[in-house]
Amino acid sequence: MKNLTRRIAAVSAAAFLALNVAGCSVTTGNPTSDGGGEREQKDEYRVAYIARAQADSFAAWLANEMKAEAANYEDITLEVFDGQADDEIENRLIENAIANKFDAIIIQPNNADAQLPYIQQAVDAGIVTVTTNPRVEGIDGASSVDANPYDQGAIVAQAALEQVPENANVVVLNGPAANFHGTARREAWEKEFFDQRPDVTIVAEDTANWNKDEALTLMEDWSLANPKIDAVISMNDNMASGALEAVKGKSGFDGMLAYGVDGTPEATLLIQEGTMTATSLQDAAELAQLNLKAVHDLLSGAEDNVSVNVGNPLITKDNTQEYIDLYKEAGLIGN
Amino acid sequence: MLSRLRSFEASRYSIFIILVVVLVAASFLSPNFLSGDNVFNVLRQVAVITILAYGAMTLIIGGMIDLSAGAVMAFAGVASVLIYKSSNSMLLAFLAGIAVGVICNLINAFLVATLHTPAFIVTLGMMLMARGAVLELTQGQNVLQLGDFILIGQGNLGLLPIPVLILLIITAVIWYLMNQTRYGRSVYAVGGNEEAARAAGIAVERVKYQAFLINGALVGIAGVIFMSRVNAGLPNAGIGYELQAITAPIIGGTSFSGGVGTVFGTLAGALIVGVLGNIMNLIGIGSYVQQIVMGLIIVVAVAYDVFSKRGRTKTTILKSAPPVQPPPSAGESPGALENANPKQ
Amino acid sequence: MSSTLLSVRDLNKSFPGVKALNQVSFDVRPGSVHAVCGENGAGKSTLMKIINGIYQPDSGTIHVRGEEVHIKSPIDARAHGIAMISQELNYVPEMTIAESFFMGRLPLKYGRVNWRYIRGEAKRVMTEEGLDFSGNRRLNTLTVSEIQTLEILRAVYHSAEILIMDEPTSAIAHKEVESLFAKIRALRDEGKSIIYISHKMDEVFQLADDVSVLRDGAIVSSQPAQETTSARVIAQMVGRDLDHQSYPKERVELGAMVFKASRLSRENAFEDINLEIRAGEIVGLAGLIGAGRSEVVRAVFGLDPLDSGTVEVDGVLVRTNTPKKAIEHGIAMLSEDRRLVGIIPKLSIKKNATLASLKKVIHGGFHRSSVEEQLVTEYFQKMNVKAPSTETRIESLSGGNQQKVLLARWLIADPKVMLLDEPTRGIDVGAKFEIYKLMTALARQGRAILMISSELPELIGMCDRIYVMSAGRMTAELEPHQFSQETILKHAMNQIEVA
Repeated sequence: MKNLTRRIAAVSAAAFLALNVAGCSVTTGNPTSDGGGEREQKDEYRVAYIARAQADSFAAWLANEMKAEAANYEDITLEVFDGQADDEIENRLIENAIANKFDAIIIQPNNADAQLPYIQQAVDAGIVTVTTNPRVEGIDGASSVDANPYDQGAIVAQAALEQVPENANVVVLNGPAANFHGTARREAWEKEFFDQRPDVTIVAEDTANWNKDEALTLMEDWSLANPKIDAVISMNDNMASGALEAVKGKSGFDGMLAYGVDGTPEATLLIQEGTMTATSLQDAAELAQLNLKAVHDLLSGAEDNVSVNVGNPLITKDNTQEYIDLYKEAGLIGN
Repeated sequence: MLSRLRSFEASRYSIFIILVVVLVAASFLSPNFLSGDNVFNVLRQVAVITILAYGAMTLIIGGMIDLSAGAVMAFAGVASVLIYKSSNSMLLAFLAGIAVGVICNLINAFLVATLHTPAFIVTLGMMLMARGAVLELTQGQNVLQLGDFILIGQGNLGLLPIPVLILLIITAVIWYLMNQTRYGRSVYAVGGNEEAARAAGIAVERVKYQAFLINGALVGIAGVIFMSRVNAGLPNAGIGYELQAITAPIIGGTSFSGGVGTVFGTLAGALIVGVLGNIMNLIGIGSYVQQIVMGLIIVVAVAYDVFSKRGRTKTTILKSAPPVQPPPSAGESPGALENANPKQ
Repeated sequence: MSSTLLSVRDLNKSFPGVKALNQVSFDVRPGSVHAVCGENGAGKSTLMKIINGIYQPDSGTIHVRGEEVHIKSPIDARAHGIAMISQELNYVPEMTIAESFFMGRLPLKYGRVNWRYIRGEAKRVMTEEGLDFSGNRRLNTLTVSEIQTLEILRAVYHSAEILIMDEPTSAIAHKEVESLFAKIRALRDEGKSIIYISHKMDEVFQLADDVSVLRDGAIVSSQPAQETTSARVIAQMVGRDLDHQSYPKERVELGAMVFKASRLSRENAFEDINLEIRAGEIVGLAGLIGAGRSEVVRAVFGLDPLDSGTVEVDGVLVRTNTPKKAIEHGIAMLSEDRRLVGIIPKLSIKKNATLASLKKVIHGGFHRSSVEEQLVTEYFQKMNVKAPSTETRIESLSGGNQQKVLLARWLIADPKVMLLDEPTRGIDVGAKFEIYKLMTALARQGRAILMISSELPELIGMCDRIYVMSAGRMTAELEPHQFSQETILKHAMNQIEVA
């Protein structure tokens, strides 16, 4: 028993070390700032990163990358706040950051419409404001760094155009209702794939809320109702991997194609293994680099306004090793 | 008279009647429903929730509740995955999952039974703590490459999927605990009337510890199966499972006020929920409509249960008015000694 | 005008498995008190619920002033001038007096509740009655008797002609009983009729003009009170002759000292209490309510902590800080509060009965269901528990039968010492007698019995010795030749003097 607890402790410590790449000097949690600070050239800038939800694996990865990237800037101190996937909390965090007179605020919105007035307040307060993943449109004076979700979906859809066989039966796994990224990716699939391929039939489509376990259950049932499914089209990799789990080893599903988005470590491994077909990378490291660069340029006056997109490279069996190496380096894939 | 009573006992089986109706309806709606593959498929799908539901049931019968089940399940499952990856021992991993479940629940039990804090609040706190712990442990990332760990959730023993086998064993064990042991009798008594149970010599605190202990072991096992089934250590797993776990026993006739509930009722409740989800997926009903149907089923099942039980209560009023007792305020009347005199 | 105000004809009501009412007919004359007597379970409550519209009869008719009425709900009943003053007063504790006065029919003005009118009316009625409550007082600040008075006033104010009172004296003090009776007589003189349900014979014969007796759902007699006697009514109620004057007491050869409690104290409850009980002895513990009698036995049994004092069983010092330990040392306690500290309502009578002896029915890892069934059946037969089966939920039994199941629980546990706190409270005459017989049998087996009771004749009839407590202290220990209601009362009211 004692031994076991020690093991758990050891494992958790190991996981910790692996994930906190490079000793970073950032702090997380609630700031107890005394609130002083002018918007002038300073030696030390206080930057708030308001994350959508620390419990969301991509958002958590991005937050970790943000922390790691901030450590590369000597004049930036980054504090990370958790919006807990709740508009109310996210809005309150923005207000707090304004009141605490941060020099810059990076906002990963939970719901662009809901955060819009609060982001406007930050801009009006003269604070450097950057929206990211996704970008919030329609705010004068705010900068943005984003991956374009339409493009992310489109690049995979275009690849699928060639690969999906004639008269194929496909199933579609969607993100949560009214999710900006989920909706845009689905739209890309519609325009870039389904409109071009009227021969393809969608035999089942539903939301699995980005979750692997929900996608697993859906696919278990769908695969029973539809003995022939040629491709899984999923709006993220988690759900694609869940669907693949459901048909693993099942006869008749060996050659099934599977598409996702995000380029998660798991997806790169599945692509290498040959069970998953393609995904596009939403690179948290690159997002973090561009965000911090944007903030730094804006604070130092090198730029007035920034609006950039990260690339969204397609990952297939041909180039997957490259990304696996990247993840191994970041400690997100073990050896 | 007895035979008339017995026929009336049918209402006790209302939940099983609903289950049969659902099964029959499902087999008409989809030709795939009754295929051997799908039967195991449904059982595999309900295994995790049903195991959690047994834990919830034993707590609710004892007059308590566990809101931390979903979060502790994720914590236990991820801990199990990590232990497996570092030790390559299935047994150790399994025990680790159970240990995490049990430890979290012993903390719950200490606060509830020893310090007399309401279980609702205690387990709400534990829900946050366990979720925070598992997110901190993984830094919010999914744990991958589980290797043979997936056997527990995906393997078969002969024809029988291992999760189903585990579910059957646990069903038998829980049935035994609730019906054949002193613990079982005691937990019904504690939930039914804690003061009276204490006065009958039941060690109430110990019973509460035992209930949380059982729940902890079940939550741990559920976590191991869950992670193995999805082939990943998901720190976000099980959000909302605490409520789903409560749904099955409540549909199955477990009373929220404690002291009432059966293992097979809970199993039937879990199967109803599982079969409905399955059949709606099979015939292509979307998840939005599924939520409406699930909500309806919960309300209808419980309303029907209450309705049929009300009928039964009437039957057993039998020879009596409701139990009559002077209200407690009788103690305020100093003259009671004199006026109670039946002898004149 | 008809000579009957309320006339009930051939009412039948069945619940599945039981015929609750069988061809019940009776008449209530205007301006009379009509007592309805019967054991618990005889059908009184069902009958009253039908008259009040809570249940619907299977067949039969009800006439008010010669006109047939169909009472579908208590609201209908009110419209026909029938009001029920309930047995267990149901009220909303946070409600004000004035509000409760108009509950269910709040007068409106311009669509809003007319509070000014409500307060005015409540005040006027209460002033007329000589009550000086402010209409704004909340009900939870009133005594049970005051609430009862209010309920009666309310019924009369809303022009009730027939008032049903179900055991109205069960929860109020002696002095208050007198004023209640005065009120009832005044109402009768105003021409109202009262249906008075009770099994206290002295009350019935003080008040009633007519007496109807129900047994097993049927009326066995209905006649003017002058034409019958309390002995006859009791005989009709129980269906056999019960000589109520004599208790089934046997003198038993007393054995060794089984139970000894010395210098028991608990702050704000009792102080310096000594108790001794020998094998075969039934010892009474008398005192006014609030004297600390129940507190003593609760503490001895481990339900409440003791500040100091020792307990010995069979000459051995034992620690009984939890009921579990007390039971292990052979002590059993039947609480005065059957519902709160006695029954597990949703469990079967079988499971209730074996709860304190689980080791006897579940051992070696298995539940011995045939052993349990046998054990329970044996005791239930011995004690004459009336229930459809051993699987019946205890909550559906009458008070007397519940009490027998709880006694069976302790007999199965086979204790040496039995602390019985008001063992016959709230149960009917027949069941009381059976419990007395049982106590005698237990004494014969050599058990030590302590009985707390507020019914002095019961103590005098059953005990070998009586302790009297007052204000948390022991004030007397009486031997049989000293037994009398006067002596006990004198010591029970004595605050200082130690006998």
